[in-house]
Amino acid sequence: MEPLDQELDEAELEMPTEPMLLNVGPAHPAMHGTVRCVMELSGEIIEHVDVQVGYLHRGFEKMCERGTWTQVFPYVDRCNYVSPMLNNVAFALACEKMLGVTVPERCQWYRIILGELARMSDHLTCDGAMAMELGAFTPFLWMIKAREMIWDLLEEETGARLTHSFGRVGGMASPPTDNLKDNARAVTQHILSVVDEVEKLLLGNRIFLDRLEGIGVISQADAISLGWTGPCLRATGVAYDVRKASPYLKYGELDFEVPVGTTGDCFDRFMVRLAEMRQSARIIEQACQRMADKGPVNIDDPRIILPPKEEVYNTIEGTIQHFKIVMEGLKLPAGEVYAYTEGGNGELGFYLVSDGSGTPYRVRIRPPCFLITAGLERIITGAMMADVVPSFGSLNMIGGECDR
Amino acid sequence: MSLTLISFLLFVLKAFVVVMFAMNVAVILTWADRRQGAMIQDRVGPNRAVAWIPTFVAQGLALGPALLVVGAVAFALLKLEPPPEELGQRAMLFSQLGILFTWLTFAVVAGKVQTRGPQSSLDGWLSGIGDPRRIFYAGLIAHFLALFVGLALNDSAFGPQIRALGYGCGAGLLIFSVLGGAAYAAFSIRNEPRVGLRLAGLLHPAADGLKTIFKEDFIPPNADRLLHSLAPFISFFPALVVMAVIPFGDTLCFTIKNGGLGSLMSSMPRDGVCQAAGSLRLQVVDLDVGLLYFFALAGTGIVGAALAGWASDNKYSLLGGVRAASQMVSYEVTMGLTLVGAVMVYGTLRVDKMIEWQSQNAWGIFVQPVAFFLFFTASVAESKRIPFDIPEGESEIVAGYFTEYAGMKFAMFFFAEYIAVVTSAGLMSAIFLGGWDLPFLYRDGVHIAIGGTVLFEQGLPHVLVVVVGALGFVLKTLTLCWLQLMIRWTLPRFRYDQLMRLGWRKLLPASLANVLATGLIVMAIVSAGPEVGQFMALLADCTKAFLAIGGLGGLIYFIVFLVKPVHKRQTLSSSSAQYAIAAGGTRSSRMSA
Repeated sequence: MEPLDQELDEAELEMPTEPMLLNVGPAHPAMHGTVRCVMELSGEIIEHVDVQVGYLHRGFEKMCERGTWTQVFPYVDRCNYVSPMLNNVAFALACEKMLGVTVPERCQWYRIILGELARMSDHLTCDGAMAMELGAFTPFLWMIKAREMIWDLLEEETGARLTHSFGRVGGMASPPTDNLKDNARAVTQHILSVVDEVEKLLLGNRIFLDRLEGIGVISQADAISLGWTGPCLRATGVAYDVRKASPYLKYGELDFEVPVGTTGDCFDRFMVRLAEMRQSARIIEQACQRMADKGPVNIDDPRIILPPKEEVYNTIEGTIQHFKIVMEGLKLPAGEVYAYTEGGNGELGFYLVSDGSGTPYRVRIRPPCFLITAGLERIITGAMMADVVPSFGSLNMIGGECDR
Repeated sequence: MSLTLISFLLFVLKAFVVVMFAMNVAVILTWADRRQGAMIQDRVGPNRAVAWIPTFVAQGLALGPALLVVGAVAFALLKLEPPPEELGQRAMLFSQLGILFTWLTFAVVAGKVQTRGPQSSLDGWLSGIGDPRRIFYAGLIAHFLALFVGLALNDSAFGPQIRALGYGCGAGLLIFSVLGGAAYAAFSIRNEPRVGLRLAGLLHPAADGLKTIFKEDFIPPNADRLLHSLAPFISFFPALVVMAVIPFGDTLCFTIKNGGLGSLMSSMPRDGVCQAAGSLRLQVVDLDVGLLYFFALAGTGIVGAALAGWASDNKYSLLGGVRAASQMVSYEVTMGLTLVGAVMVYGTLRVDKMIEWQSQNAWGIFVQPVAFFLFFTASVAESKRIPFDIPEGESEIVAGYFTEYAGMKFAMFFFAEYIAVVTSAGLMSAIFLGGWDLPFLYRDGVHIAIGGTVLFEQGLPHVLVVVVGALGFVLKTLTLCWLQLMIRWTLPRFRYDQLMRLGWRKLLPASLANVLATGLIVMAIVSAGPEVGQFMALLADCTKAFLAIGGLGGLIYFIVFLVKPVHKRQTLSSSSAQYAIAAGGTRSSRMSA
């Protein structure tokens, strides 16, 4: 007997399908308000994706060229707004490299302590937000509560919670408070307990592991060729950390490890960040031990550092000095310099060009996020729609830094 | 039973009670959900909604019920002369109630005085006691003393005097504490221009719900207007009416007068069965199909979500609608199959008969443990909450199928989800946790017996047994709701394919295996001799003992948890926080952890 549908071609029986074009972002909750992905979906599978950045472009680099070198600090605050202190320190170090000066030891320790606290706040935010976007709300609230304590400490030190503008070329805006060490120890202790609790809650959870393991994988070679740095690169197994590879401040004298992953998936990125928080706690403890309680914080150079207010009001030299630095700005010698540090997300570089006047000729920021976001397309093509959430979350793309 | 006016009115009343129960617990759940998030952050949570009432109304609210209680007690004291054989019971009841209300009143007032500071000489005396917990401990001791004295001296020579003393003193204490507490409350607010009613923040979700009525009812321009408006109703209605087949208490028995309901029976024999004409079933409708009704309605809920996704003209909504439909259809299968095992054991589809079986034998969770966990999982998936909330996974597809809804229609989806939690908890407590059945509580009172050995017996009035059973049902439902809340705050969500894999490759085979195993065991027990039956009965009694001890332990743990003082660790205190405190800005430093 002949089949009934003998005249019909198989192809005609099937409904013609075409991939669904879906615009995700920039106002989509998973895109953090700063990125747009145009996806071609076949069911839940992403066949093609076009990642578009630039929604938070505010022209920072150009704006830097209209003030003095010191007036750049508020701008770098707003680059990585999750760990602004690291940006402050990095920019200050770049200017000091150009001047050829080194800040006193006490200031170096101070910068390390504040910077590592900022790094912790960066990692807490990233891991917490990642868990929250996967639906696990409790770890997010724990971690944000811990981050709140870091910000309280930074508020106590700098007077501002988020945008500190605390770095200065040749030092810091004010010396450390008397209870800095006690507070830093208390905060790190609390954060370590939060990290332990989060590990207990999440790492034994099959659903959480299934959502992260083998998702958003990138190979070592690809990560390096894309220019990835920081926790995302270390998750692939490359132990590149600027603090170890080319130590700045006092990092060369400190005892800490560089945690690395093996597979370069979302889970490794999550774990590397957790492990780095523990290393940051070690660094803070060592810095607290070795930082002197007394001593100068700023370098003793009237051409770079503002005189104390008493002198400004009472002596002619002080007034003139203050006037020159404020009105004309620091005179960085003509030339160019590239200085790089380990930011929250990787290598944070400042390429500065000076023409010898008090105003930057060019400030170019090398943000780790821009290069990392370039790899997003590669790690989510072929994945499912829901995998975008942990993949993008684990890259910790910070819009302000990426788009500048 | 023919539909008389009385039975119709009773039906309306029962439906009202059930709907109010489901909706109010849903509101409480909304509140608890947000409160949970707030507590993790050391915040108070949703508590700002307040209803201002004039002082004299508040005073009336305090004094009115108190006067009613006092009147009832006085009436019982003066007019209802108890028969001598019931005097002992009555004395015990009154003395325990009197002690309870006395320490409760003192503890509440002392706690209030502690927070706002003493204002009168009575306040001064109360704050002199120190920690209000001491009043609780004293009350506990008084409870046990009264119980001990009553039991020990009941049969001695002083028996009659002791009984009369307990009766009189208990009633006196009750009147004094209720009236005194209300009078104190009315007195202490006399100078306030108005009094705010907050109900621990429970008004907040209610206010949020009310607010949505006045919001813009937005319909996307290209949406299917009819289906878009219909979807929330289709999703809301089934979630609510599922409760209709769940009995919330044992059947109330009446005497029969003129073929209708007469007066309530004062007590029932242990195996007493109500006559059909004189029974009032505490469930809204009396359906033989029972569980099938539940499945039919739960299946209807899917249509609402799928329609909303389709009619919204939004790609995220569409994705959410498709996810919702496939997820709910998949888990429906598991839900149905897990209950097949339960139906095999109970031999009925009627939920009230299932509860009767459980009260005669053992709770369903012991008979069908695997089915309980499978059903629990599947019903969490049916209510579309974390970890199964992929149809609305807010980080992936914005809000899923209700992305394009605003105002009251959005609130209906939102509310339907919480009501689904309540109704599924109610169904689970009926099928697996014995519904209104409490261990060792029978129609005629408490019988604690393992096998043939009777340990304790105490007759109780019929109405008290039914009311305690209904409270037990509420408690079990709330416990299951709380469990779902804890799951929501603990687990991350699945991915679409992982969810499907769990449903079809793990839960479905497990539920099939459960059916097979149940069938084999039921056949084996039925064909075995009476010795096995006796052994099973003994095991059933053991489960009851286990439940009773566990329940008591849980209660004690809960009380200890409530009474235990909370220590907040101060990690650091910044100068700005200290300035804020000094300026009276915050009640406590924000930086405690």
